[in-house]
Amino acid sequence: MGKKRKQREAEKVESETKKGEDAAPERPKRTLLGWKEKPQDDENTVSPSFRNKEKVLVTCSRRINFRYRHLMLNMVSLLPHCKKDNKVESKEIKGATLNELVELRNCSSCLFFECRKHKDLYLWMAKCPNGPSVKFLVNAVHTMEELKLTGNHLRGSRPLLTFSTNFDNNAHWKLLKEMIIQIFGTPKGHQKSKPYHDHVFVFSIVDDHIWFRNYQISVPHNESDKVSRGSLEKMTLVEVGPRFCLNPIKIFGGSFGGPTLYENPFYVSPNQIRALERKPKVNTFAKKVKAKTRRKMHELSNPLEPDEFADMWKE
Amino acid sequence: MGISDREVSLSDEDELQEDQVNEDYESESESELEDGDVKLSEPSKDSVYDTEGLLDKLGDISWPQNLPWIDKLTVDIDQAQEVDVNDDLARELAFYTQALEGTRQAFEKLQKMEVPFLRPPDYYAEMVKSDSHMEKVKGRLLAEKRKIEEAEERKKAREAKKLAKEVQAQKQKERAKQKKEEIEVVKKWRKQRQQSGFSDKGNDLPLDFEDGKSFERSSKKRPGVSPGDRSGGKAWQGGKKGKMKKRDFRDSKFGFGGKKGMKKQNTAETTNDFRDSNKGGASGNKKRKR
Repeated sequence: MGKKRKQREAEKVESETKKGEDAAPERPKRTLLGWKEKPQDDENTVSPSFRNKEKVLVTCSRRINFRYRHLMLNMVSLLPHCKKDNKVESKEIKGATLNELVELRNCSSCLFFECRKHKDLYLWMAKCPNGPSVKFLVNAVHTMEELKLTGNHLRGSRPLLTFSTNFDNNAHWKLLKEMIIQIFGTPKGHQKSKPYHDHVFVFSIVDDHIWFRNYQISVPHNESDKVSRGSLEKMTLVEVGPRFCLNPIKIFGGSFGGPTLYENPFYVSPNQIRALERKPKVNTFAKKVKAKTRRKMHELSNPLEPDEFADMWKE
Repeated sequence: MGISDREVSLSDEDELQEDQVNEDYESESESELEDGDVKLSEPSKDSVYDTEGLLDKLGDISWPQNLPWIDKLTVDIDQAQEVDVNDDLARELAFYTQALEGTRQAFEKLQKMEVPFLRPPDYYAEMVKSDSHMEKVKGRLLAEKRKIEEAEERKKAREAKKLAKEVQAQKQKERAKQKKEEIEVVKKWRKQRQQSGFSDKGNDLPLDFEDGKSFERSSKKRPGVSPGDRSGGKAWQGGKKGKMKKRDFRDSKFGFGGKKGMKKQNTAETTNDFRDSNKGGASGNKKRKR
């Protein structure tokens, strides 16, 4: 609550210091040549003081797999507003060190790729000073280097973000959608961003997982400037990659920690799955031993009659 | 409920099982998602869902409500029907249609705002995949296309060969038939002439085997052979072929049977007699490298 008040106050202060864009009439600015009228603001933007200054810190843990490292590098190339940092030691994942790192690099959110046991990739998406953070389990990773993903697009062009409507069904999906918009959307007017929109991100919820796809928008070349009805029909999408599937595990109130706001009831950790798969194999030995002792008991309790012909071939 | 689940999911271990069975383990059904992700059939009872907390945080981090759309560039698309996760094609199709629909709507909005959104063909800038990578992609696509085409060609060639065989067989049959017919016709004509006593007046049946083709040369090209030549052409000149010569020589030498070793082989006359041997060529051990 207090935070919200502070935010509003900060905005007010900012808007007062900003020149010439307030809705309330101010005194005309005094210049050497006389009084200069403020330029009329006929747009109806409410918060002109808001600028999207999102910066994402992208890091990974040590002992990350090659495939996940390439995924991380793909993300770095997709987000021009990100900063890549060195690998983070495993001890630093717990505790406040990650938060400090993000503050140090002056970033407002973080994408942290944590790889455990060289097999499982967990993705942390966090809004950094106080914001919520989410831990995902990443499946079905296909990086951009796969030759079957043939599309290509400008590096740094602003993507179009498409969401399926089931993001609006529940509170936790809404929160995730907002975080995704802020982290994956390139700020307008960012220095490294390029002008045209030639790729589109797809986030959709299927089976309680978030599926990510990245497509290049390709339109036949002869009419790229003037777009008529016809060329919109001829538009095709070619997949650029990467591809992954996110399974939300927990949503925390703080950044990389804090009170748990949401826990996925359907989530089973990959360790448990592996343990389950190994269980039947473990039991075969126990079964064998038991079967042996059972056989012995059975033999003892029902002794065989002495064989008449046992001595026949004895020399 | 817990016990029945145990029976169902761990049925092959029944009375021998003595491990502690955890809540999670027994309530899992084996509906596999991809890559070994298993879903709980009944959600575990103790999962946290703090709706107010979530909405609170949402309010904290949200951008101002009436931010112009151009800053966010988001489109919401309705998923028409439930997509089965395990059906790859349907799933990807659903994503594709979502993206397509989204881009159309976005482009309409952008068009209204008169913002250029399509990349002109002469705009060269750094792309997200390097040129060398795109070369590899192109190479792979071309290789695939070539493989398909080759397979098609091979199939067509096989079919064509089959057809060609049939056609050839038919043609041969026809030719044989024609030949027979012509011979028959000539024979008949001769008989007629015989019967009518070789008289040349008033033949009823003109020579109908002559249908104007008798003086036509056959279309087969046989250069170097004059029309009336009956010698058989170049192939038959110079006597017999090499193998026939060998056969003749051997016949003359070894005659018509008799004991193998009784005759002298290496005599003064036969030392320089090389008609028999395979002249040079692939004589000797073929396996030895030359």
